[in-house]
Amino acid sequence: MTSEQPLLEIDNLKVDFHTPTGIVRAVRGLSFTLGRERLGIVGESGSGKSMTGRAILDLIPHPGAVSADRMRFRGQDLTTMDKGARRKLRGRHISMVMQDPKFSLNPVETVGSQIAEAYRIHRKAGAREARERSLAMLEQVQIREPARVYDLYPHEVSGGMGQRVMIAMMLIAEPEVLIADEPTSALDVTVQLQILKILDDLVTERGMGLIFISHDLHLVQSFCDRVIVMYGGKVMEALPAAELADTAARSRRHPYTLGLLECLPDLDHPRAKLATLNRDPAWLA
Amino acid sequence: MTNAAISVDKLNVSFGDSHVVKDLSFDVRKGESYGLVGESGSGKSTVLRVLSGLNREWSGNVAIEGAVQPKVRDKAFYRNVQMVFQDPYGSLHPKKTVDDTLAEPLAIHGIGDAEARIGKALSDVGLPASFRFRYPHQLSGGQRQRVAIARALVLEPSILLLDEPTSALDVSIQAEVLNLLAALRQERKLTYILVSHDLAVVGHMCERLLVMQFGRAVEEMTVETLAARQPQTAYAQQLLTASAGFRRAG
Repeated sequence: MTSEQPLLEIDNLKVDFHTPTGIVRAVRGLSFTLGRERLGIVGESGSGKSMTGRAILDLIPHPGAVSADRMRFRGQDLTTMDKGARRKLRGRHISMVMQDPKFSLNPVETVGSQIAEAYRIHRKAGAREARERSLAMLEQVQIREPARVYDLYPHEVSGGMGQRVMIAMMLIAEPEVLIADEPTSALDVTVQLQILKILDDLVTERGMGLIFISHDLHLVQSFCDRVIVMYGGKVMEALPAAELADTAARSRRHPYTLGLLECLPDLDHPRAKLATLNRDPAWLA
Repeated sequence: MTNAAISVDKLNVSFGDSHVVKDLSFDVRKGESYGLVGESGSGKSTVLRVLSGLNREWSGNVAIEGAVQPKVRDKAFYRNVQMVFQDPYGSLHPKKTVDDTLAEPLAIHGIGDAEARIGKALSDVGLPASFRFRYPHQLSGGQRQRVAIARALVLEPSILLLDEPTSALDVSIQAEVLNLLAALRQERKLTYILVSHDLAVVGHMCERLLVMQFGRAVEEMTVETLAARQPQTAYAQQLLTASAGFRRAG
Protein backbone atom coordinates (compact mmCIF):
# COMPACT_ATOMS: atom_id res chain seq x y z
CA MET A 1 0.00 0.00 0.00
CA THR A 2 2.65 2.51 1.08
CA SER A 3 4.85 1.63 -1.87
CA GLU A 4 2.06 2.76 -4.19
CA GLN A 5 1.85 6.15 -2.51
CA PRO A 6 3.53 8.89 -4.56
CA LEU A 7 6.71 10.33 -3.09
CA LEU A 8 5.65 13.90 -3.75
CA GLU A 9 2.20 15.37 -4.34
CA ILE A 10 2.10 19.01 -5.26
CA ASP A 11 -1.01 20.99 -6.02
CA ASN A 12 -1.15 24.61 -7.14
CA LEU A 13 2.34 25.61 -5.98
CA LYS A 14 3.05 29.34 -6.10
CA VAL A 15 6.23 31.25 -5.42
CA ASP A 16 5.91 35.04 -5.17
CA PHE A 17 8.63 37.56 -4.56
CA HIS A 18 7.36 40.72 -2.90
CA THR A 19 9.72 43.44 -4.10
CA PRO A 20 9.46 47.22 -3.65
CA THR A 21 8.43 47.54 -7.30
CA GLY A 22 5.71 44.92 -7.16
CA ILE A 23 5.13 41.19 -6.92
CA VAL A 24 7.24 38.94 -9.12
CA ARG A 25 5.39 35.68 -9.64
CA ALA A 26 8.14 33.10 -10.22
CA VAL A 27 5.91 30.02 -10.08
CA ARG A 28 2.19 30.37 -10.82
CA GLY A 29 0.20 27.31 -9.88
CA LEU A 30 2.24 24.19 -10.57
CA SER A 31 0.78 20.73 -9.87
CA PHE A 32 2.42 17.34 -10.22
CA THR A 33 3.02 14.05 -8.46
CA LEU A 34 6.31 12.21 -8.36
CA GLY A 35 6.65 8.46 -8.04
CA ARG A 36 9.77 6.31 -8.28
CA GLU A 37 10.61 7.74 -11.67
CA ARG A 38 12.60 10.30 -13.61
CA LEU A 39 10.57 13.48 -13.99
CA GLY A 40 12.06 16.18 -16.20
CA ILE A 41 11.27 19.88 -15.82
CA VAL A 42 12.35 21.90 -18.85
CA GLY A 43 12.10 25.56 -19.69
CA GLU A 44 14.19 28.61 -20.46
CA SER A 45 15.88 30.81 -17.87
CA GLY A 46 13.26 32.54 -15.77
CA SER A 47 10.63 29.87 -16.33
CA GLY A 48 10.54 29.02 -12.62
CA LYS A 49 12.00 25.53 -12.88
CA SER A 50 14.76 26.05 -10.30
CA MET A 51 12.37 27.90 -7.96
CA THR A 52 10.09 24.85 -8.06
CA GLY A 53 12.94 22.65 -6.78
CA ARG A 54 13.88 25.16 -4.12
CA ALA A 55 10.27 25.55 -2.95
CA ILE A 56 10.01 21.80 -2.33
CA LEU A 57 13.11 22.01 -0.13
CA ASP A 58 12.02 25.21 1.62
CA LEU A 59 15.06 27.03 0.25
CA ILE A 60 13.35 30.08 -1.25
CA PRO A 61 15.32 33.16 -0.19
CA HIS A 62 13.76 36.29 1.28
CA PRO A 63 11.49 38.03 0.11
CA GLY A 64 10.05 34.95 -1.57
CA ALA A 65 6.81 33.43 -0.32
CA VAL A 66 5.67 29.89 -1.09
CA SER A 67 2.05 28.78 -1.05
CA ALA A 68 0.35 25.60 -2.20
CA ASP A 69 -3.05 23.96 -1.87
CA ARG A 70 -1.25 20.75 -1.18
CA MET A 71 2.42 19.81 -0.82
CA ARG A 72 3.03 16.36 0.59
CA PHE A 73 6.10 14.17 0.92
CA ARG A 74 5.10 10.50 1.41
CA GLY A 75 1.82 11.62 2.89
CA GLN A 76 3.36 14.16 5.29
CA ASP A 77 1.97 17.65 4.83
CA LEU A 78 4.84 20.04 4.09
CA THR A 79 2.70 23.19 4.15
CA THR A 80 1.91 22.93 7.88
CA MET A 81 5.32 21.56 8.91
CA ASP A 82 7.55 23.88 10.98
CA LYS A 83 11.03 24.97 9.90
CA GLY A 84 12.80 22.46 12.12
CA ALA A 85 10.90 19.50 10.70
CA ARG A 86 11.51 20.72 7.17
CA ARG A 87 15.22 20.95 7.95
CA LYS A 88 15.18 17.33 9.13
CA LEU A 89 13.71 16.22 5.82
CA ARG A 90 16.18 18.26 3.84
CA GLY A 91 19.32 16.38 2.94
CA ARG A 92 18.12 13.21 4.69
CA HIS A 93 14.95 12.47 2.71
CA ILE A 94 14.81 15.09 -0.04
CA SER A 95 18.07 16.34 -1.47
CA MET A 96 19.22 18.69 -4.21
CA VAL A 97 22.26 18.70 -6.50
CA MET A 98 23.10 22.21 -7.63
CA GLN A 99 24.33 23.25 -11.03
CA ASP A 100 27.87 24.37 -10.41
CA PRO A 101 30.35 22.58 -8.12
CA LYS A 102 32.62 25.65 -8.22
CA PHE A 103 30.13 27.65 -6.18
CA SER A 104 28.45 24.93 -4.17
CA LEU A 105 31.41 23.26 -2.47
CA ASN A 106 33.19 24.84 0.48
CA PRO A 107 36.53 25.99 -0.98
CA VAL A 108 38.51 25.69 2.28
CA GLU A 109 37.52 22.14 3.22
CA THR A 110 38.60 18.92 1.52
CA VAL A 111 35.91 17.29 -0.60
CA GLY A 112 36.07 14.10 1.47
CA SER A 113 35.41 15.85 4.75
CA GLN A 114 32.42 17.61 3.19
CA ILE A 115 30.91 14.28 2.16
CA ALA A 116 31.66 12.78 5.57
CA GLU A 117 30.05 15.77 7.28
CA ALA A 118 26.81 15.11 5.39
CA TYR A 119 26.85 11.50 6.58
CA ARG A 120 27.64 12.36 10.21
CA ILE A 121 24.86 14.92 10.41
CA HIS A 122 22.16 12.77 8.87
CA ARG A 123 23.17 9.37 10.17
CA LYS A 124 24.61 10.39 13.56
CA ALA A 125 27.69 8.34 12.77
CA GLY A 126 31.23 8.57 14.10
CA ALA A 127 34.21 9.97 12.23
CA ARG A 128 35.68 6.64 11.16
CA GLU A 129 32.43 5.18 9.87
CA ALA A 130 31.69 8.43 8.03
CA ARG A 131 35.09 8.30 6.34
CA GLU A 132 34.62 4.71 5.25
CA ARG A 133 31.15 5.40 3.92
CA SER A 134 32.41 8.50 2.07
CA LEU A 135 35.18 6.53 0.39
CA ALA A 136 32.66 3.88 -0.68
CA MET A 137 30.36 6.60 -1.98
CA LEU A 138 33.17 8.19 -4.02
CA GLU A 139 33.80 4.82 -5.55
CA GLN A 140 30.13 4.44 -6.35
CA VAL A 141 30.14 7.67 -8.35
CA GLN A 142 33.09 6.23 -10.32
CA ILE A 143 35.96 8.17 -8.90
CA ARG A 144 38.98 6.00 -9.52
CA GLU A 145 41.24 6.77 -6.57
CA PRO A 146 38.83 7.62 -3.76
CA ALA A 147 41.51 7.75 -1.06
CA ARG A 148 43.49 10.34 -3.02
CA VAL A 149 40.48 12.41 -4.05
CA TYR A 150 39.16 12.42 -0.47
CA ASP A 151 41.96 14.75 0.61
CA LEU A 152 41.75 17.14 -2.33
CA TYR A 153 40.32 20.65 -2.07
CA PRO A 154 37.56 21.72 -4.49
CA HIS A 155 39.96 23.80 -6.62
CA GLU A 156 42.09 20.70 -7.20
CA VAL A 157 39.33 18.67 -8.86
CA SER A 158 37.94 19.04 -12.38
CA GLY A 159 34.37 20.13 -13.09
CA GLY A 160 33.19 16.60 -13.75
CA MET A 161 34.82 15.29 -10.62
CA GLY A 162 33.41 18.18 -8.56
CA GLN A 163 29.94 17.35 -9.82
CA ARG A 164 30.40 13.70 -8.83
CA VAL A 165 31.59 14.81 -5.39
CA MET A 166 28.40 16.84 -4.98
CA ILE A 167 26.28 13.90 -6.08
CA ALA A 168 28.13 11.68 -3.60
CA MET A 169 27.47 14.21 -0.85
CA MET A 170 23.76 14.39 -1.66
CA LEU A 171 23.33 10.64 -1.98
CA ILE A 172 25.25 9.48 1.07
CA ALA A 173 22.22 9.98 3.32
CA GLU A 174 20.21 7.87 0.81
CA PRO A 175 17.36 10.33 0.18
CA GLU A 176 14.08 9.11 -1.32
CA VAL A 177 13.81 12.13 -3.59
CA LEU A 178 16.66 13.83 -5.42
CA ILE A 179 16.19 17.16 -7.16
CA ALA A 180 18.95 17.67 -9.70
CA ASP A 181 19.15 21.26 -10.96
CA GLU A 182 21.04 21.23 -14.28
CA PRO A 183 23.47 18.67 -12.83
CA THR A 184 25.33 18.14 -16.07
CA SER A 185 25.09 21.38 -18.04
CA ALA A 186 28.61 22.48 -17.08
CA LEU A 187 30.11 19.16 -18.17
CA ASP A 188 31.43 17.57 -21.33
CA VAL A 189 29.12 15.18 -23.13
CA THR A 190 31.01 12.02 -22.21
CA VAL A 191 31.22 12.96 -18.51
CA GLN A 192 27.58 14.00 -18.70
CA LEU A 193 26.59 10.49 -19.74
CA GLN A 194 28.53 8.94 -16.83
CA ILE A 195 26.71 11.18 -14.34
CA LEU A 196 23.33 10.35 -15.89
CA LYS A 197 24.15 6.66 -15.65
CA ILE A 198 24.76 7.04 -11.90
CA LEU A 199 21.43 8.86 -11.44
CA ASP A 200 19.65 6.34 -13.63
CA ASP A 201 20.94 3.39 -11.57
CA LEU A 202 19.71 5.03 -8.38
CA VAL A 203 16.20 5.29 -9.77
CA THR A 204 16.06 1.76 -11.13
CA GLU A 205 17.96 0.02 -8.31
CA ARG A 206 17.03 1.98 -5.20
CA GLY A 207 13.64 3.24 -6.32
CA MET A 208 14.56 6.85 -5.78
CA GLY A 209 12.37 9.61 -7.21
CA LEU A 210 14.31 12.03 -9.40
CA ILE A 211 13.33 15.53 -10.49
CA PHE A 212 15.66 16.45 -13.32
CA ILE A 213 15.68 20.19 -14.05
CA SER A 214 17.21 21.06 -17.40
CA HIS A 215 17.05 23.39 -20.37
CA ASP A 216 18.26 20.63 -22.72
CA LEU A 217 15.28 19.09 -24.51
CA HIS A 218 17.33 16.41 -26.25
CA LEU A 219 18.77 15.20 -22.99
CA VAL A 220 15.45 15.20 -21.13
CA GLN A 221 13.81 13.39 -23.99
CA SER A 222 16.37 10.59 -23.90
CA PHE A 223 16.74 10.38 -20.11
CA CYS A 224 13.41 11.04 -18.39
CA ASP A 225 10.12 9.15 -18.15
CA ARG A 226 7.86 12.19 -18.03
CA VAL A 227 8.44 15.84 -18.82
CA ILE A 228 6.87 19.06 -17.57
CA VAL A 229 7.42 22.04 -19.88
CA MET A 230 7.39 25.38 -18.04
CA TYR A 231 7.23 28.94 -19.30
CA GLY A 232 6.92 32.11 -17.22
CA GLY A 233 6.20 30.14 -14.05
CA LYS A 234 3.34 28.15 -15.60
CA VAL A 235 3.10 24.62 -16.91
CA MET A 236 2.63 24.66 -20.67
CA GLU A 237 2.19 20.91 -20.85
CA ALA A 238 3.12 17.63 -19.19
CA LEU A 239 3.81 14.63 -21.40
CA PRO A 240 5.65 11.30 -21.61
CA ALA A 241 9.26 12.01 -22.64
CA ALA A 242 9.08 9.64 -25.60
CA GLU A 243 6.41 11.82 -27.20
CA LEU A 244 8.87 14.71 -27.49
CA ALA A 245 10.80 12.74 -30.08
CA ASP A 246 7.70 11.52 -31.88
CA THR A 247 7.39 13.73 -34.95
CA ALA A 248 3.98 12.26 -35.80
CA ALA A 249 2.63 13.51 -32.46
CA ARG A 250 3.88 17.05 -33.02
CA SER A 251 0.49 18.41 -34.01
CA ARG A 252 -0.71 17.61 -30.50
CA ARG A 253 2.12 19.56 -28.86
CA HIS A 254 1.76 22.91 -27.17
CA PRO A 255 3.10 25.69 -29.44
CA TYR A 256 5.75 26.59 -26.86
CA THR A 257 7.10 23.01 -26.68
CA LEU A 258 7.05 22.89 -30.45
CA GLY A 259 8.88 26.23 -30.63
CA LEU A 260 11.60 24.98 -28.30
CA LEU A 261 12.04 21.82 -30.37
CA GLU A 262 12.14 23.64 -33.69
CA CYS A 263 14.74 26.23 -32.77
CA LEU A 264 17.33 23.54 -32.06
CA PRO A 265 19.81 22.91 -34.85
CA ASP A 266 19.49 19.30 -35.99
CA LEU A 267 22.16 17.31 -37.84
CA ASP A 268 19.54 15.18 -39.56
CA HIS A 269 17.34 18.04 -40.72
CA PRO A 270 19.61 20.86 -41.81
CA ARG A 271 17.93 24.12 -42.73
CA ALA A 272 19.25 27.45 -43.91
CA LYS A 273 17.58 29.43 -41.16
CA LEU A 274 16.62 28.25 -37.70
CA ALA A 275 13.06 28.81 -36.53
CA THR A 276 12.76 31.38 -33.77
CA LEU A 277 10.28 31.32 -30.97
CA ASN A 278 7.21 33.56 -31.06
CA ARG A 279 5.94 33.97 -27.54
CA ASP A 280 2.20 34.31 -27.17
CA PRO A 281 1.10 36.47 -24.18
CA ALA A 282 -2.03 34.29 -24.00
CA TRP A 283 0.10 31.43 -22.66
CA LEU A 284 0.46 33.28 -19.37
CA ALA A 285 -3.14 34.43 -19.13
CA MET B 1 47.33 27.54 -50.20
CA THR B 2 46.92 30.98 -51.70
CA ASN B 3 43.23 31.24 -50.94
CA ALA B 4 43.62 30.33 -47.27
CA ALA B 5 42.27 32.99 -44.93
CA ILE B 6 43.91 31.30 -41.98
CA SER B 7 46.74 28.84 -42.13
CA VAL B 8 48.08 27.15 -39.02
CA ASP B 9 51.17 24.96 -39.27
CA LYS B 10 52.70 22.88 -36.46
CA LEU B 11 51.31 25.07 -33.71
CA ASN B 12 52.52 24.23 -30.21
CA VAL B 13 51.43 25.92 -27.00
CA SER B 14 52.67 25.15 -23.49
CA PHE B 15 51.68 26.65 -20.15
CA GLY B 16 54.56 25.80 -17.84
CA ASP B 17 54.80 22.02 -17.84
CA SER B 18 51.53 21.35 -19.58
CA HIS B 19 51.66 21.06 -23.31
CA VAL B 20 48.13 22.07 -24.34
CA VAL B 21 48.34 22.31 -28.14
CA LYS B 22 50.50 19.77 -29.96
CA ASP B 23 51.65 20.04 -33.59
CA LEU B 24 48.34 21.37 -34.79
CA SER B 25 47.95 22.22 -38.47
CA PHE B 26 44.89 23.29 -40.42
CA ASP B 27 43.78 25.70 -43.14
CA VAL B 28 40.62 27.74 -43.36
CA ARG B 29 39.54 28.95 -46.81
CA LYS B 30 38.40 32.48 -47.49
CA GLY B 31 34.69 32.82 -46.77
CA GLU B 32 34.55 29.44 -45.08
CA SER B 33 33.08 28.67 -41.69
CA TYR B 34 35.31 26.21 -39.86
CA GLY B 35 34.43 24.45 -36.62
CA LEU B 36 36.73 23.40 -33.79
CA VAL B 37 35.15 20.81 -31.53
CA GLY B 38 36.37 18.84 -28.54
CA GLU B 39 35.90 18.47 -24.83
CA SER B 40 37.17 20.83 -22.13
CA GLY B 41 40.94 20.85 -22.11
CA SER B 42 41.24 19.81 -25.75
CA GLY B 43 42.94 23.13 -26.55
CA LYS B 44 40.29 24.54 -28.88
CA SER B 45 39.91 27.86 -27.09
CA THR B 46 43.69 28.17 -26.78
CA VAL B 47 43.97 27.93 -30.57
CA LEU B 48 41.56 30.88 -30.91
CA ARG B 49 43.51 32.88 -28.36
CA VAL B 50 46.71 32.31 -30.34
CA LEU B 51 45.02 33.28 -33.61
CA SER B 52 43.56 36.44 -32.08
CA GLY B 53 46.90 37.49 -30.59
CA LEU B 54 45.71 37.19 -26.98
CA ASN B 55 48.19 34.43 -26.26
CA ARG B 56 51.77 35.30 -27.16
CA GLU B 57 53.51 32.14 -25.95
CA TRP B 58 53.51 29.71 -28.84
CA SER B 59 55.67 28.23 -31.54
CA GLY B 60 54.94 27.21 -35.10
CA ASN B 61 53.53 29.14 -38.03
CA VAL B 62 50.35 31.17 -38.20
CA ALA B 63 49.47 32.98 -41.42
CA ILE B 64 46.45 35.21 -41.88
CA GLU B 65 45.55 35.88 -45.52
CA GLY B 66 49.01 34.78 -46.58
CA ALA B 67 50.93 36.99 -44.14
CA VAL B 68 52.97 35.16 -41.50
CA GLN B 69 52.04 36.54 -38.09
CA PRO B 70 54.51 37.63 -35.41
CA LYS B 71 53.79 36.97 -31.72
CA VAL B 72 52.82 40.59 -31.16
CA ARG B 73 50.37 41.78 -33.80
CA ASP B 74 50.04 45.25 -35.22
CA LYS B 75 46.95 47.45 -35.29
CA ALA B 76 46.03 46.51 -38.85
CA PHE B 77 45.72 42.88 -37.75
CA TYR B 78 43.14 43.68 -35.09
CA ARG B 79 41.15 45.65 -37.58
CA ASN B 80 40.90 42.56 -39.76
CA VAL B 81 40.49 39.83 -37.13
CA GLN B 82 38.02 40.14 -34.28
CA MET B 83 36.79 37.76 -31.61
CA VAL B 84 33.44 37.13 -29.88
CA PHE B 85 33.67 35.54 -26.45
CA GLN B 86 31.59 32.90 -24.75
CA ASP B 87 30.17 34.77 -21.83
CA PRO B 88 28.24 37.93 -22.68
CA TYR B 89 27.96 38.64 -18.95
CA GLY B 90 31.72 38.79 -18.55
CA SER B 91 32.89 40.28 -21.83
CA LEU B 92 31.16 43.68 -21.64
CA HIS B 93 32.37 46.37 -19.25
CA PRO B 94 29.60 46.82 -16.67
CA LYS B 95 30.19 50.55 -16.23
CA LYS B 96 30.29 51.40 -19.92
CA THR B 97 27.25 52.05 -22.06
CA VAL B 98 26.75 50.22 -25.34
CA ASP B 99 27.82 53.46 -27.03
CA ASP B 100 31.14 53.56 -25.09
CA THR B 101 31.78 49.89 -25.88
CA LEU B 102 31.29 50.40 -29.60
CA ALA B 103 33.12 53.76 -29.74
CA GLU B 104 36.33 52.42 -28.21
CA PRO B 105 37.58 50.24 -31.08
CA LEU B 106 36.84 53.12 -33.48
CA ALA B 107 38.84 55.55 -31.33
CA ILE B 108 41.77 53.11 -31.06
CA HIS B 109 41.96 52.76 -34.81
CA GLY B 110 41.43 56.45 -35.44
CA ILE B 111 38.33 55.87 -37.52
CA GLY B 112 36.07 58.87 -37.88
CA ASP B 113 32.38 58.92 -38.51
CA ALA B 114 31.75 57.06 -35.22
CA GLU B 115 28.19 58.35 -34.95
CA ALA B 116 27.06 56.69 -38.18
CA ARG B 117 29.14 53.54 -37.75
CA ILE B 118 27.79 52.81 -34.27
CA GLY B 119 24.24 53.34 -35.48
CA LYS B 120 24.84 50.99 -38.38
CA ALA B 121 26.53 48.33 -36.23
CA LEU B 122 23.54 48.30 -33.89
CA SER B 123 21.02 48.01 -36.69
CA ASP B 124 23.11 45.27 -38.34
CA VAL B 125 22.81 43.09 -35.25
CA GLY B 126 19.11 43.83 -34.93
CA LEU B 127 19.16 46.10 -31.88
CA PRO B 128 17.00 49.25 -31.79
CA ALA B 129 18.85 52.59 -31.74
CA SER B 130 17.38 53.30 -28.29
CA PHE B 131 19.70 50.63 -26.83
CA ARG B 132 22.72 52.78 -27.53
CA PHE B 133 22.86 54.43 -24.13
CA ARG B 134 22.01 51.41 -22.05
CA TYR B 135 24.35 49.64 -19.66
CA PRO B 136 24.96 45.87 -19.90
CA HIS B 137 22.82 45.14 -16.82
CA GLN B 138 19.85 46.63 -18.67
CA LEU B 139 20.21 44.03 -21.44
CA SER B 140 19.29 40.35 -21.62
CA GLY B 141 21.92 37.69 -22.39
CA GLY B 142 20.99 37.54 -26.06
CA GLN B 143 21.06 41.33 -26.38
CA ARG B 144 24.48 41.43 -24.72
CA GLN B 145 25.82 38.89 -27.18
CA ARG B 146 24.47 41.04 -30.01
CA VAL B 147 26.40 44.00 -28.57
CA ALA B 148 29.55 41.83 -28.44
CA ILE B 149 29.02 40.90 -32.09
CA ALA B 150 28.42 44.57 -32.98
CA ARG B 151 31.67 45.49 -31.21
CA ALA B 152 33.53 42.94 -33.34
CA LEU B 153 31.85 44.11 -36.55
CA VAL B 154 32.20 47.84 -36.08
CA LEU B 155 35.76 47.65 -37.45
CA GLU B 156 34.52 45.74 -40.51
CA PRO B 157 36.87 42.76 -40.10
CA SER B 158 37.00 39.93 -42.60
CA ILE B 159 37.65 37.19 -40.05
CA LEU B 160 35.58 36.51 -36.93
CA LEU B 161 36.77 34.12 -34.22
CA LEU B 162 33.76 32.82 -32.29
CA ASP B 163 34.43 31.13 -28.95
CA GLU B 164 31.23 29.27 -27.92
CA PRO B 165 29.13 32.32 -28.84
CA THR B 166 25.81 30.78 -27.84
CA SER B 167 26.56 28.29 -25.08
CA ALA B 168 25.49 30.73 -22.35
CA LEU B 169 22.14 31.42 -24.05
CA ASP B 170 18.71 29.78 -24.04
CA VAL B 171 17.94 27.67 -27.12
CA SER B 172 15.45 30.16 -28.53
CA ILE B 173 17.98 33.00 -28.17
CA GLN B 174 20.71 30.73 -29.54
CA ALA B 175 18.64 30.30 -32.72
CA GLU B 176 18.37 34.10 -33.13
CA VAL B 177 22.11 34.66 -32.63
CA LEU B 178 23.06 31.80 -34.99
CA ASN B 179 20.69 33.17 -37.65
CA LEU B 180 22.28 36.60 -37.22
CA LEU B 181 25.81 35.19 -37.56
CA ALA B 182 24.84 33.19 -40.66
CA ALA B 183 23.22 36.22 -42.31
CA LEU B 184 26.19 38.48 -41.54
CA ARG B 185 28.60 35.98 -43.01
CA GLN B 186 26.65 35.76 -46.23
CA GLU B 187 26.27 39.53 -46.52
CA ARG B 188 29.88 40.41 -45.81
CA LYS B 189 31.68 37.30 -47.07
CA LEU B 190 33.19 36.78 -43.62
CA THR B 191 35.43 33.89 -42.60
CA TYR B 192 34.48 32.23 -39.30
CA ILE B 193 36.23 29.91 -36.91
CA LEU B 194 33.60 28.61 -34.52
CA VAL B 195 34.63 26.84 -31.33
CA SER B 196 31.83 24.81 -29.83
CA HIS B 197 31.14 21.66 -27.86
CA ASP B 198 27.75 21.33 -29.54
CA LEU B 199 28.04 19.24 -32.69
CA ALA B 200 24.57 20.26 -33.89
CA VAL B 201 25.53 23.94 -33.76
CA VAL B 202 28.75 23.26 -35.66
CA GLY B 203 26.82 21.15 -38.16
CA HIS B 204 24.43 24.03 -38.71
CA MET B 205 27.03 26.78 -39.04
CA CYS B 206 30.13 25.23 -40.61
CA GLU B 207 31.28 23.55 -43.80
CA ARG B 208 34.22 21.69 -42.27
CA LEU B 209 35.30 20.92 -38.74
CA LEU B 210 38.27 19.67 -36.81
CA VAL B 211 37.85 17.32 -33.86
CA MET B 212 40.49 17.87 -31.16
CA GLN B 213 41.52 15.83 -28.13
CA PHE B 214 44.29 16.55 -25.61
CA GLY B 215 45.63 19.35 -27.81
CA ARG B 216 45.96 17.23 -30.94
CA ALA B 217 43.97 17.16 -34.14
CA VAL B 218 42.02 13.90 -34.21
CA GLU B 219 40.10 14.23 -37.43
CA GLU B 220 39.11 16.85 -39.94
CA MET B 221 35.78 16.21 -41.59
CA THR B 222 33.11 17.83 -43.69
CA VAL B 223 29.64 18.54 -42.41
CA GLU B 224 28.33 15.83 -44.75
CA THR B 225 30.50 13.25 -42.97
CA LEU B 226 29.24 14.60 -39.67
CA ALA B 227 25.59 14.40 -40.72
CA ALA B 228 26.11 10.87 -42.08
CA ARG B 229 27.84 10.03 -38.77
CA GLN B 230 30.72 8.39 -40.59
CA PRO B 231 33.88 9.69 -38.98
CA GLN B 232 37.10 7.75 -39.51
CA THR B 233 38.36 7.77 -35.94
CA ALA B 234 37.07 6.07 -32.83
CA TYR B 235 37.23 9.24 -30.74
CA ALA B 236 35.12 11.27 -33.19
CA GLN B 237 32.64 8.40 -33.28
CA GLN B 238 32.50 8.35 -29.49
CA LEU B 239 31.86 12.10 -29.40
CA LEU B 240 29.05 11.73 -31.93
CA THR B 241 27.43 8.90 -29.99
CA ALA B 242 27.69 10.80 -26.73
CA SER B 243 25.99 13.87 -28.16
CA ALA B 244 23.07 11.78 -29.42
CA GLY B 245 21.75 11.71 -25.85
CA PHE B 246 21.37 9.20 -23.06
CA ARG B 247 20.94 5.55 -23.92
CA ARG B 248 19.94 2.98 -21.34
CA ALA B 249 22.09 -0.12 -21.64
CA GLY B 250 19.88 -2.91 -22.91
